[in-house]
Amino acid sequence: MAYSDIAAFFPILLKGAVVTVQITLGALLLSTFLGLLLALMKRSPFAPISALASTFINVIRGLPIIVQLFYIYFVIPELGIDLSAFQASIIGLGIAYSAYQAENFRAGIEAVDAGQIEAAKSIGMKSALIMRRVVLPQAVRIALPPYGNTAVMILKDSSLASTITVAEMTRAGQLIAASTFQNTTVYTMVALMYLALSLPLIFGVNRLERFFAKSRQGADQ
Amino acid sequence: MIAIDHIHKAFGATQVLKGVSLDVAAGEVVCLIGPSGSGKSTVLRCINGLESYDSGAITIHGQTVDVRRSDIHRLRTRVGMVFQRFNLFPHRTVLENVMEGPIFVKGEPRTDARRHAQELLEKVGLAEKQAAYPTQLSGGQQQRVAIARALAMRPEAILFDEPTSALDPELVGDVLTVMRDLATEGMTMVVVTHEMSFAKEVADRVCFLYGGQIVEEGPASRVLSEPQNARTQDFLRRVLNH
Repeated sequence: MAYSDIAAFFPILLKGAVVTVQITLGALLLSTFLGLLLALMKRSPFAPISALASTFINVIRGLPIIVQLFYIYFVIPELGIDLSAFQASIIGLGIAYSAYQAENFRAGIEAVDAGQIEAAKSIGMKSALIMRRVVLPQAVRIALPPYGNTAVMILKDSSLASTITVAEMTRAGQLIAASTFQNTTVYTMVALMYLALSLPLIFGVNRLERFFAKSRQGADQ
Repeated sequence: MIAIDHIHKAFGATQVLKGVSLDVAAGEVVCLIGPSGSGKSTVLRCINGLESYDSGAITIHGQTVDVRRSDIHRLRTRVGMVFQRFNLFPHRTVLENVMEGPIFVKGEPRTDARRHAQELLEKVGLAEKQAAYPTQLSGGQQQRVAIARALAMRPEAILFDEPTSALDPELVGDVLTVMRDLATEGMTMVVVTHEMSFAKEVADRVCFLYGGQIVEEGPASRVLSEPQNARTQDFLRRVLNH
């Protein structure tokens, strides 16, 4: 393993890392929006709407993410919708993770004590106001640690975009390794760079979990 | 002021209220007592529409309480409620808990709401706790904040659903003192309670519920000291010897 190799590979991998972060953020944003929508649909008193959300969630959870990516990248264009590989990877990962996000949000909303909702009603609050002032502020805090875990998973699974030709970090590594045969150097660097991105996130989530565990303990006293 | 006329209610196949009638005059303090499952909390929860009833009628100053009607929210602002488990909003401070309703439901200016909330916290003896969060308070303190939160809406009546049942014995006194003061000031109160001494001292009237019906009612001193109904006698013997 030569230092000159590392110096030569690093800028290429860094370019890949930028794409990895872009895909992760894009997919996180999309999955958050879709997940919240699905969670609210699932709570709808109107049966067809909640059934639609449940079906969608089950289908998405039952499919390998890589198959979803292939489907969006190879099949959607046949319907006449033009998608770049980069766009397809964000949409694919965003949809795939929306099902998990929906569960995060649903758990957060349902964890809010029913007694508080009654108390809010008893001072004359209507349901939209109760959602905004009582349920959501607490649901967000409860859903934050699992949300962070989901972000870590999206970051790692963004490497699947390499299978549909997106030049993110894993793909960049593959290309360098294939042309230089420096497998050890390249993949060690790739692994370390993923850790550099994921470990701070993981530590952040752990801190959040500890913080919320402590504040819950306070509530029991 | 509150008129309950022959209400029935069933949860599934279980008939929990079988024709309960009760009139509460303005300024009156009525205590509902009875064994668990007798329907006393359900009666209370029907009064402000947290629970619906199947037949009969409840009116507050002539206005019908009906969960399906859009005026239910306005009606609830006129009848406060204090819960067994306090049900404060844990993500808001004591002061914010009390100001929440006046600001967001009634649209009071923030400065007015704050001044009024501070006065109420003073009244329940918690002025120095206004910046604390509910989890930092004892149960008795939380319950007094809950009473201040109900009072902040300037209600015409307050319903108390076993307000001291979840408290350690040494914390019950402070809550009862606040309730006693309210009664003296002429607040209309309907109280579901197991505190017989409180009922005896403060209530104008006591109703004993058994099996979804009021089987005995009358002045507190009479019902509690010389109960006529065998069920009432049996119940009182058990709670007083406890």
